[in-house]
Amino acid sequence: MKGVIRDVIPQLELFQPNSADDALALLAEHGSDAWVYAGGLDTLDWFKDRVKRPRVVVDLGGIDSMREIRTTADGIEIGAMARLIDVVNHPDIQARFPALALSAKTAASPQIRNQGTLGGNVGQDTRCWYYRDGWTCYRAGGNICYASPPTAMNREHCILGASRCVAVNPSDTAPVLVALDAEMVIRRGRAERVVPAAEFFVGPEIDIERMTALEAGDLLMSIRVPSTWSGARVYFEKVRDRDTWDFALVNVATALRESGGVIQDARVVVNGVAPTPVRLTAVENAIRGQARNEQTANRAGDVSIQGTVALAQNGFKVNLMRNLVRRSIRDEVMNEV
Amino acid sequence: MSQEIIEVTEETTQPGVSRRSFIKGAIAASAAVSSTNYLFRSNGGAVLAQAPAAGAVDRLITVTVNGRSRRVEVPPMETLATTLRYKLGLTGTKIGCDRAECGACTVLVDGTPHYGCSLLTHSVRGREVTTIEGLEAEDGTLHPVQQAVLEEQGFQCAFCMSGFIMNSVALLNENPSPTRKQAAEWLSGNLCRCADYDKILTSVQRAAEITRGA
Amino acid sequence: MADYKLLGKNYQTPDLYAKVTGRSRYAEDHRAEGMVFAKLLSSPMPHARVRSINYDAALALPGVVGILTPDDLPDEVDAPNEAALTMEPRYEGEPILAVAAVSEQIASDAIELIDIDLEPLEFVLDPLDSLKPGGPNARSEGNTTIGRELGEIKWTAADLAGLAAGEIPMDAEAAQEWSFGDLEAGFAEADVIVEEHSYNQSTSHQPLESRTTMAYWEDGKLYIYPSVQSTARAVGPMARWAGVEPSNVVLINEFTGGGFGGKISGYVHAQIPILLSKKIGRPVMMRITRREENMIGRGRPGVQARIRLGMRADGRITALDIHGIGDQGPYGRSGDAMNVAGIGSLCYQPLACRMRGTNVYTNTPPRGPQRAPGGVQSMTMLEPIIQKAAKLLGLDQVEVHKINAPEGQARFGPPGLNGEQGNVSSAFAREAIDIGAELFNWEERKERSGQRNGSKVTGVGMTLSAYSAGASGVDGLFVLRPDGRLYIQSGVGNLGTGSAFDTMRAAAEGLDMPWEKCEVAWGDTSRHLPWSCSQGGSSTTHAHTRANWAAVADAKLKMQEIAAQDLGGAPEDYEIGGERVYRRGNRSQGLSFAQIAQRAIDLGGKYDGHELPEDINGMTTASATALAGQGLMGVAKDNYEEGGRRMSFVAGFAEVEVDIETGNIKIVDYAAGSDAGTILHPKTYEGQIFGGAIQGFSVALASKWVYDRQWGLMVAKRFYSNRPPGMLDVPHEAPMKWGNADLPDPFNPLGAKGIGEAAQGAGSGAVANAIADALESLGEGNGDFHRSPVTRDMILTKLEQAPSGHDRLTAHV
Repeated sequence: MKGVIRDVIPQLELFQPNSADDALALLAEHGSDAWVYAGGLDTLDWFKDRVKRPRVVVDLGGIDSMREIRTTADGIEIGAMARLIDVVNHPDIQARFPALALSAKTAASPQIRNQGTLGGNVGQDTRCWYYRDGWTCYRAGGNICYASPPTAMNREHCILGASRCVAVNPSDTAPVLVALDAEMVIRRGRAERVVPAAEFFVGPEIDIERMTALEAGDLLMSIRVPSTWSGARVYFEKVRDRDTWDFALVNVATALRESGGVIQDARVVVNGVAPTPVRLTAVENAIRGQARNEQTANRAGDVSIQGTVALAQNGFKVNLMRNLVRRSIRDEVMNEV
Repeated sequence: MSQEIIEVTEETTQPGVSRRSFIKGAIAASAAVSSTNYLFRSNGGAVLAQAPAAGAVDRLITVTVNGRSRRVEVPPMETLATTLRYKLGLTGTKIGCDRAECGACTVLVDGTPHYGCSLLTHSVRGREVTTIEGLEAEDGTLHPVQQAVLEEQGFQCAFCMSGFIMNSVALLNENPSPTRKQAAEWLSGNLCRCADYDKILTSVQRAAEITRGA
Repeated sequence: MADYKLLGKNYQTPDLYAKVTGRSRYAEDHRAEGMVFAKLLSSPMPHARVRSINYDAALALPGVVGILTPDDLPDEVDAPNEAALTMEPRYEGEPILAVAAVSEQIASDAIELIDIDLEPLEFVLDPLDSLKPGGPNARSEGNTTIGRELGEIKWTAADLAGLAAGEIPMDAEAAQEWSFGDLEAGFAEADVIVEEHSYNQSTSHQPLESRTTMAYWEDGKLYIYPSVQSTARAVGPMARWAGVEPSNVVLINEFTGGGFGGKISGYVHAQIPILLSKKIGRPVMMRITRREENMIGRGRPGVQARIRLGMRADGRITALDIHGIGDQGPYGRSGDAMNVAGIGSLCYQPLACRMRGTNVYTNTPPRGPQRAPGGVQSMTMLEPIIQKAAKLLGLDQVEVHKINAPEGQARFGPPGLNGEQGNVSSAFAREAIDIGAELFNWEERKERSGQRNGSKVTGVGMTLSAYSAGASGVDGLFVLRPDGRLYIQSGVGNLGTGSAFDTMRAAAEGLDMPWEKCEVAWGDTSRHLPWSCSQGGSSTTHAHTRANWAAVADAKLKMQEIAAQDLGGAPEDYEIGGERVYRRGNRSQGLSFAQIAQRAIDLGGKYDGHELPEDINGMTTASATALAGQGLMGVAKDNYEEGGRRMSFVAGFAEVEVDIETGNIKIVDYAAGSDAGTILHPKTYEGQIFGGAIQGFSVALASKWVYDRQWGLMVAKRFYSNRPPGMLDVPHEAPMKWGNADLPDPFNPLGAKGIGEAAQGAGSGAVANAIADALESLGEGNGDFHRSPVTRDMILTKLEQAPSGHDRLTAHV
């Protein structure tokens, strides 16, 4: 075998376009040889470990228009390159979608939030420690999953939606965006398409080598958060081992619209439990039309874990997910950022 | 200005075989015989940076550090921490993990704390970088955060210190009177393995007092 | 406490200005003309034999200047020690060869050009697997050391009969054993006997500065810029690895970015830049990455144990019986497992005690001493068991600790050859407990045990922790020069604990010298430094206050003799103070320090260092000889009475809040009372108390290794997966509280002892107890983890009686 070293970024070609059009032209030209570089945090890990080595890197950092956060007729449109800290601090987001601001604030660490982007947060790759360390598993183009055998270490892997690969989506903002019925605006050359957040995240059954709908040549331009859930009761909570710089063991985003103490409509989304954020429609159905009380919350928790399949070491995630879904309905919303 | 191409290197793999598909091919081949040979650990050996071909020279760029503009040759994928330490002689910025986790490399870019190990030098062109070496006034007066650390004997081994100090400077610029809790949240992206957190927070409180003229 | 002018006062250590301005240079901050960079090819397997290596393509890469392979190392090392490079790597990440190139980029690229053929060998991760009949061995020669020799221990099927999987047979073969008292009688006397299995995980040291090293050669001399804990003590090992005399080594290391026991007197991998720079004739910088540091940078041996404890109705511990298995990694010998009872028998003074243990080799990173080796394991493992016994008897945790606490020159540990146990120089453990209890407000706070706030439940816990606190027999050296200033030489490494400078203040204190007129030379052996203690085990504070006090006595006598010679009378008629030597009762008759320094030079001989004491270390002799003739020299070996082993004590108190729906554990508050004699410098002392406590919290709550069991490879390699604590993971909203008994150790002229070691077990034990206390309130057995760290998954599965995915003692999950 060849020597392996996990240090020092190999030489790559770097492009720093100043406009989205130029970026898209580069992506079109280089196809699958190109890597889209947003905040660079997830990216540099891969490059420094020499595990992923594209030929061409397209740095979006110079495209100011992609950092804009705009209030639109129907909500807020957040440029994919808006920094997480801008999402946390934006007055309109705080006022209308405080759970989104809170979720961005729980991501990583302050320095990362100063640099990392919302687009990068939703587009980031999984943190499966086998895959990230360069093991040639399914996700890396191989034909095996190292994380699922009984001897494997899978405390932080999935309990839902596994399909050969048992890695989970690590994003904190993703479940909130799904709960808020956000839409992802994607460009490819001159063509634009709009994908609901729930469909943006892709499981291994669709493509085992990527986490999102983005394919070579695609650029996530912005994320539209419609007014639909503005002002509704939206609960977000993240449970992690360390209070900073740690990924969710499980996180939950629950949006409820109530009238007269009765739940009219709901979105219940969890992440950290499956290859994609999971919208728990069975839970939503179970609580729609019910009074928001402890009994409903308990019922929601119980329904949430139907169909879960624990691996050897992550059985606790089932309990944790049930408890989080339960308290997302039962408890006071604390969206202070 | 339209797109600026920073560096172009020649195709380094065989003609007609894109590098990515070649890597995948190599990995798939090795995975097939992997069970006892640990071949999953190999990169396949196909991809190596070769000496840049003609026309693909490293670029001379201008970076502004501690108020001074410096012309420096920086390969496209070089991180700011490396440039500071190895090209500009500013070794006060430390590399503790090189993976954006520990904060020892924290520097200010336009006043905002960043992990210098995880920021490309090419992306700070036109921006103001401030490092620990840039905090002292011309006459040698220390920044209040530095002064406070001296007074409180904050930190032990101090390998994390530059990063903490730079992050604290940004904190006090933003919030001149942080509570300990606010300071801890702001500084939570910095690790101190000696775990001198108690004295670090006390130093930040003292720095705030000095800033306020107390 | 005596009324000192300097000791016990806060001051600014002389290294701090350079640190806050970024001028301090750590290993990777040094540069040398023509310097090249080394990168390592490390083993991708847990145990393998290198069948062949082909590095022709690497050498041919433009910019590559050389390669160092195991063939370039001078001698085979004796098992069970490790070599800098090896053809039989015994853990993932063990270095096989190194490439030097003009840039890190090229060196890294070259590593990928190397063809290496590895034959995978049998490996073992969990010590208990290796002890099973027919279980694998980490080394071909055996799985343990018996005495000084490598050997093999396998338990028999009969040993394991009747035990559940992973349980430890109490009486099966062990490599080591000691005992005192009548164990059987002790258990017979007990009103409660608690028997549990317990596991304390291995953890990496992970100092923030890795063991990066730069080296070059000039005129046959090695110039080395490492990151070591001890300056003086690292010279010998570096010389050995370089194959030269210690006098041909110049070691420069003024600032060290942490060590925690992992860099005490150097590290074998320093040999790589030493030999590579010699081979290629250019300075070599070997930057060790975080990933590499995690593998080669030492770890605390995990301990798996079966523990049986007997307690009388009044709380007195009558018997303690432990069978402990130490996870040794592939090399060396550690005392951690046997120390579980060693330290336990000090803190709890059991009437009878037996410790049986075996260190088992595994294909995991090499172990070494980590802050209170065995002591932290002792506190973390024994405390919840003691607490459980106390609960069964309805006793208060503080009372139980007090009734068992050592006092005076208490005895502890294994009996010596004469059948007598060793003793401590002093123990004021009860005072430490009382101080901590008062600061924490124990009486009031313990009422919060089990209090519910929604899904959160409160627990409180305390621990008495002890560990070694001082070495002896090293040298003090300083020169009073005619400029009236005192130049103090420190061979002590500068880890920022303060002891490198705090102990030098003893010289100033003894001579009544203003600190502003003192200069400390440290961190560069070309500056003529004296022999120092090995800087681990909190040795320095005690050792170097003694050494400097001995040098003070030497200097004072010389001053008195000179004064008597010049001004008449007998030496004992003269006193020292106010930077003068003067006749008792007549301050005006005397000599200033500046004058006496000049007179010492005039007189020569012993006065200015031209004649030296015979009992000082050769390194001190060489340094003193180089400094001779510059002024009045104080130089002496510490020959003060020992009085016993120096041990310091810390009583830690913690309140935690456990969220039973998420498993979140919040440490609400922590306070510590200590007995470490005279405090030299309150602020650095506080740093040790809380820094140690927080490292203890991480033992109890977070830090661990995780290994894939099929492939034998570590998966939790990143900080976010092995989880050292950040600021938000520890109490931060208000300063934590500490106090010290301030009772001087009778066997130190200044009463001082070290503190860093004992501080850590206080943190881990108190938090482990507090978690158990919180969860036990929800139902009997809910607090029984007996495994550290206690993570969120463990709490959730425990409370739901769900399967946890591994046996309680399983290592590295």
